[in-house]
Amino acid sequence: MIDMKPLYEAVLKGDAATARALTEQALASGMEPITVVKEFMVPAMDEVGRRFECNEYFVPELLLAARAMKAALELVRPLLVKSGVEPQGRVVVGTVRGDLHDIGKNLVAAMLEGGGFEVVDLGVNVTPEKFIEAVKAKNANIVALSALLTTTMPAMRATIEAFKAAGLRDQVKIFVGGAPITQKFADDIGADGYSENAPGAVTLAKVHAARAA
Amino acid sequence: MNTEQLYQQRLARYVTAMRNEKPDCVPIRPFVAEFTAKYAGYTCQQVCHDYNKAFDAAVKTAKDYGWDAVVPNMVYVWTGLAQAAGLRYFGIPGIGIPHTTGFNYIEPPEGEAWMREDEYDELIRDPTAFLYNVWLPRVSTEVSRVGEPSTYRNNLALVKSSMAMLQYFYAFGPQIQRLRTEAGTVSAIAGIFKAPFDILADKLRGYIGLTMDMATQPKKVLAACEALMPHLCHVGLTTADPTKQVPIGFWMHRGCVPFVNPGQFDSHYWPTLKPIVEEFWKHGHQTLFYAEGKWKHHFDTFRELPDRSIVFHCDRDDVFEVHRRLHDKFAISGGIPNVMLSYGKPEEVRDFTRRVLREVAADGGYILDSGAIMQDDTSVENLRVMTDTCREHGVYCSGALLPLTAMPPCDVPASIAQRQQLTGMTGRPAPRVKPGVCLPWEEKVKELPEISGDRDLIRKVWEDIEALGNTYIWQLLLSF
Repeated sequence: MIDMKPLYEAVLKGDAATARALTEQALASGMEPITVVKEFMVPAMDEVGRRFECNEYFVPELLLAARAMKAALELVRPLLVKSGVEPQGRVVVGTVRGDLHDIGKNLVAAMLEGGGFEVVDLGVNVTPEKFIEAVKAKNANIVALSALLTTTMPAMRATIEAFKAAGLRDQVKIFVGGAPITQKFADDIGADGYSENAPGAVTLAKVHAARAA
Repeated sequence: MNTEQLYQQRLARYVTAMRNEKPDCVPIRPFVAEFTAKYAGYTCQQVCHDYNKAFDAAVKTAKDYGWDAVVPNMVYVWTGLAQAAGLRYFGIPGIGIPHTTGFNYIEPPEGEAWMREDEYDELIRDPTAFLYNVWLPRVSTEVSRVGEPSTYRNNLALVKSSMAMLQYFYAFGPQIQRLRTEAGTVSAIAGIFKAPFDILADKLRGYIGLTMDMATQPKKVLAACEALMPHLCHVGLTTADPTKQVPIGFWMHRGCVPFVNPGQFDSHYWPTLKPIVEEFWKHGHQTLFYAEGKWKHHFDTFRELPDRSIVFHCDRDDVFEVHRRLHDKFAISGGIPNVMLSYGKPEEVRDFTRRVLREVAADGGYILDSGAIMQDDTSVENLRVMTDTCREHGVYCSGALLPLTAMPPCDVPASIAQRQQLTGMTGRPAPRVKPGVCLPWEEKVKELPEISGDRDLIRKVWEDIEALGNTYIWQLLLSF
């Protein structure tokens, strides 16, 4: 049995090359892909989130860790698919209509992937119809909406309303985030959750996944 | 009181507050952008495409609300110029994004950043040449790269966009005059500045790219920030208010925790920013720290700056905390939440504004404004409530207006040593090509036949016109 603690450390430090090499070694030694993810990668990302909450890590460290995680996951994901292992959940993410800002949305997407979710990133300026289409096509159970501008906050409400009109509202949890968004606004528009940062978004998704399981 | 008297009174009120003193009442200086369009009956598309409509809207709004100071056109971006230059980094209302939306900046995907990770040396060697040779062709759909065949569209783009820029800049003088004569309102800021680290993130490497560079090549990033410093300082000083009354606008973006970690702020952001702010102050210019987002991690650091050298504008920080931590040194502006102004109830706006007036403005040194620029989601009624509440409750019983004198030039002894460590700043060798110049006279003169007569006249005319080339590229980088 090879020592996998360094993989945990590599993700934590954001060392993509080492994370990838160690994952390769682990898989070559016969370790189950799901074990690599569950025992080492996801706990590392959990620790990254914890450190962010404690002001030990900041966005640069989140980005680097997410990169390392992605490098390792690229090796593992095809094997998981082949063996029929389902992700924790499928999340459709996007910045709402009229808003072209994507740094926060990209970070949330990367952290969700690192947390074991399958992410469908629709990009920016996404219409309600596109969100609905993607949820149907991918059978997603979570939608994460981003907005940076106060002017595009109403597009979040419009997207939630469109899910209601399409009869899909009960099938998905809708989470919102972005600089001007508050818990109160999320409650007002009938969103299922709000987080002020990317690790918080992962926590929301995990809580939902645990309830759904 | 006629408009000119009103103007003089408001200017004195605004300047007194910015110098952290107590005027007759709290000045109101809302940074209203697309809100003016909504108020004056235009669309976002109209004010972005037609700056005369944006100017009209700014004057009408300032006049009707009776504000002390506004920006002559806070929408600022003019798509006439942006499209002439073929700028890729704008989402333009009605072109690709809804015509009812304000313009957006677009950050390209990491691999397609406007500056690539291996181009630091070229930027550091001569930032102005880099902007022309590498950056401009990349951000433009029209401009050809150096070494590639020039095209008809390349030539048109350069001529049209530079003439458009001059046309636009020349329109600001009359607009500032209109604000004064028609509304009695002061033009709130003069000059533009961005921190070296911010501009690297905003328009060159992108935030993600720069974050990765901070992990892989932090020394190169620092050298690039240092190389940008004298140029950004030059732009700030040459665009500042010659009467030294209104501050230089400094738009602060992603240089704060958590977008950078505290170590990066200390090693890169602050050391390449502080000397420039001090240089501005040395010349008698205040800097408006338009602190977008939250900057609470850095309040103690900002206290290193000389008293009154900045006006700290509060966006999403807690304005009451900002007051506790900074008001003894600097004037404060802003802090009224945009979300409240857009979606809150009038009573909430009234109560919050009263609290700010009571707790933040009590000793003077406060200018009323929202946290961020106001777009067309801001409620007309809520802004009226904010304004009326200030006029009713923001009156000082013992305030006085300072005489309207320029801020005298001053030295800042503590910072001299730090400034001297930086290329191009006081006491250090100038960069290879000095700020404000693209092609130095000393090089050009070698190509010319023998010069007779008034050599200085010939040099001066060359340099004056040459400086326009410099203005064009640095203004594109910073303002558009």
